[in-house]
Order: sequence, then structure tokens, then C-alpha cells
Amino acid sequence: MSRRLSRSVIEPLNPKLNVSRNANLPHSPGVRVGDYIFLSGMGPVDPKTGGRNLGPIAGQIRQTLSNMAHMLESAGSGLDRVLKINIVLADIADYDEMNRVWREFFPADPPARTTCALQLSNGNGVEIECIALGGSNVADGG
Amino acid sequence: MREIIAAPAPGLDLRHHYGHHQTVAVRAGGLIFCSGMVAVNPDTGEREHGTVTSEARRIFENLKLLLESAGSSLDRLVQVHAMIYDRIEYDVLNRLYRQFVPNAPPARTVMSVQIEAGFKVMLDVIAAA
Amino acid sequence: MGLQREIIAPKDPALGVPRNLDLPLSPAIRAGAFVFVSGLVAIDPAGERMHGTVATETRQILAAMTQVLEAAGSSLEKVVKANVLIYSMLEYNNMNEVYREFFPVDPPARTVCGAQLSGGSKVEIECIALA
Repeated sequence: MSRRLSRSVIEPLNPKLNVSRNANLPHSPGVRVGDYIFLSGMGPVDPKTGGRNLGPIAGQIRQTLSNMAHMLESAGSGLDRVLKINIVLADIADYDEMNRVWREFFPADPPARTTCALQLSNGNGVEIECIALGGSNVADGG
Repeated sequence: MREIIAAPAPGLDLRHHYGHHQTVAVRAGGLIFCSGMVAVNPDTGEREHGTVTSEARRIFENLKLLLESAGSSLDRLVQVHAMIYDRIEYDVLNRLYRQFVPNAPPARTVMSVQIEAGFKVMLDVIAAA
Repeated sequence: MGLQREIIAPKDPALGVPRNLDLPLSPAIRAGAFVFVSGLVAIDPAGERMHGTVATETRQILAAMTQVLEAAGSSLEKVVKANVLIYSMLEYNNMNEVYREFFPVDPPARTVCGAQLSGGSKVEIECIALA
């Protein structure tokens, strides 16, 4: 029987991006377990105000992926260590636009991805979650 | 290697009861991957349609049973896809949900999707073994 | 020394779905103990998105998934979790009947739900497998 993996909560260095705490929601921004990081679904939160950054979908996706980069970097990881991303759009018609923005963040060797359209809250046009590798300089937790 | 985790109670074997071609949970690489869980009676497998609250409560109780039988626990959940039939029930879900994962809760994405058999809630989870 | 991730490129170029559909994603990534496979939709031998019935789309997707996993040194038997998205849960049985052919023994954990998919596809399947 192998050792149990250790599990710990990840929080963003920028407290404005800690939606779990700020909105008093029953999730953690992310969880590290062994070599992997699982992030909660994230939306277009403004890192300066903590409020929603709505507007055209391209801007929302850019904001969300930037926030995701920050979250991962706060945990010693980064967008280049993302393994799998799930993108939820409020409107599947935004798919092509989403792909255009996506390329800006993942110009080469993009992660695995699944996209679908579902109802989202608060007028958000997008919600994104991911599984990533932990930081390369952090000891294996398990 | 991957390891099949047997249903700890007969009602949780949805493959047997409903022909869902899936295993209740699989352990691999230090993690436990669970099939989507809906509100069924753990002994009989009977569907227990109800409110978001009653269905979610039943699901969490079944999940606790499943994870503990596999040497894990609700505290070791790492990722949850909380699927609800309509996002309007978001707050209702949260009220019940926080009772079961009060401390250091797992990562979560709430997804409003069509769920089987008219259920209002389904939880799709990964836990640390 | 930290873990690295590795992009998986399947041998059959028609399965380079992302390239053929000009989609900026990798069919699969291997890292540590696992292979993470992107949501796959049905494509035809020319690499174009294929629109069929739920049954034919499911069959094509799982055949493609077999090849993607083999390119990663894995296999369908090593899948630990599959997530199936269908455009309508009314078609569940049509998907399930084909699905069971591909996982005859000890099928992986699975979640199935109804969601809106891109490009008019009726089925999309992603998975996590042991490397």
C-alpha cells in the first residue's frame, strides 16, 4: 500500500481573487494533492476591485485566464504546467471567439481541453477550471 | 495500476440496478475517481427524487460511505463538479453543501446540466485516496 | 526534480483533431501517473467534424480515443474516469449501448450529463487514464 498523498488548500496571493472567501462559498480556490493542483471554476473577476469584469466575451476570457495564471503562480506553478482545462461558456456561439483568445495564452503546446455551454450565474459569459502540475521546485507531497 | 472499488452497499451499484456501464469508483495514482452520484437508496438502489436539498444530502451520505469504505473521507475530496438541473438552485445547493465540507473544502465548479432520470443534483468527484 | 508534462501526438494524422479543425488544443497530455485526454468529438477519416447519430458519433469517438491513448503508452483498459457529454439525455441509451462495447470488463468510473456542445456535435467524451 503506497503512502497517502498529502492534500492542502491553495489561495491566491491577491486576496481580491479569493472568491471562495470573499463570497463565502463552500469551496477552496484550489487544492494541491501530490503532484497535482485542482482549481475551482473561475470567472472574470477584476483583480483590482474583486468585482465582476463583464463585457465582451473576449475580455472576460482574457481576465479569467490571467486570474488563473495568478492562482497557479501563487502555488508555485504556472499556465505552462496546466494539463487539462474545462471551459464552460454561457453561449456556445462564443466558441470561435474563445479559441482566438485561448491562442494568446497557449500559443504552443496547449493543454488538453473540453468545452461546453451551460447556464452560468451573474451574467458571466465564461467559467474555467483546470488540473495542473504543482510547481517544479516544490517537494512531492506524496 | 488502477483498482476497482466495489460498491460498499448494494444500492450504490448503478451498473447492476440501471445498466449504467460504469464502476462506482476507481483508485489510481493515489486518487479516487468516482462515477457521477445521484440520490439513490444505498440498500435498494431505488431512486430518491426530491428537492435539491434532500437529493444532495442523500448523495453526500452515500459518498461518505463510499469514500470511507475505500480508506478515504469527505475531508479528502479534492475536486467536485456539482451538477444541478438549474442554476437557480445555486444557493439552496450551497446551504446543504457546506454542511458536509465545512473545513478546507475541495475545489469546485457548479455546472447546470441535464441529469439522468430527472434528478436535480449529481456530484462528480475526485478524492485523495 | 519536478514532473514534466508531455504533449501526446497520435500516429494517425486524421486524429490530429485539433490541427484538422484548427483547434488550439492537444488531444492528450501525459504527466506523472496520468494521461488527460481532451474532450473528443466525432471526426471522419479526412479529419473533418462528423455529424451522425449519437451511436455512430460515440463509436467514432471511442475508436479515436483508443488510438490517442495508445500513442500515450496507455489504453482503454487503463482509463480511470470518463466524462460523457450528450446534447440530450434522452439519447443516453444510444450512447451507453455503444460505450459498453469498448469497455467490456471492469469499466472505468463515469459521469454522463446533457450539455450544449460546439459545432453541432451530439457527443463529446473526455477521460483520465493511467499512463
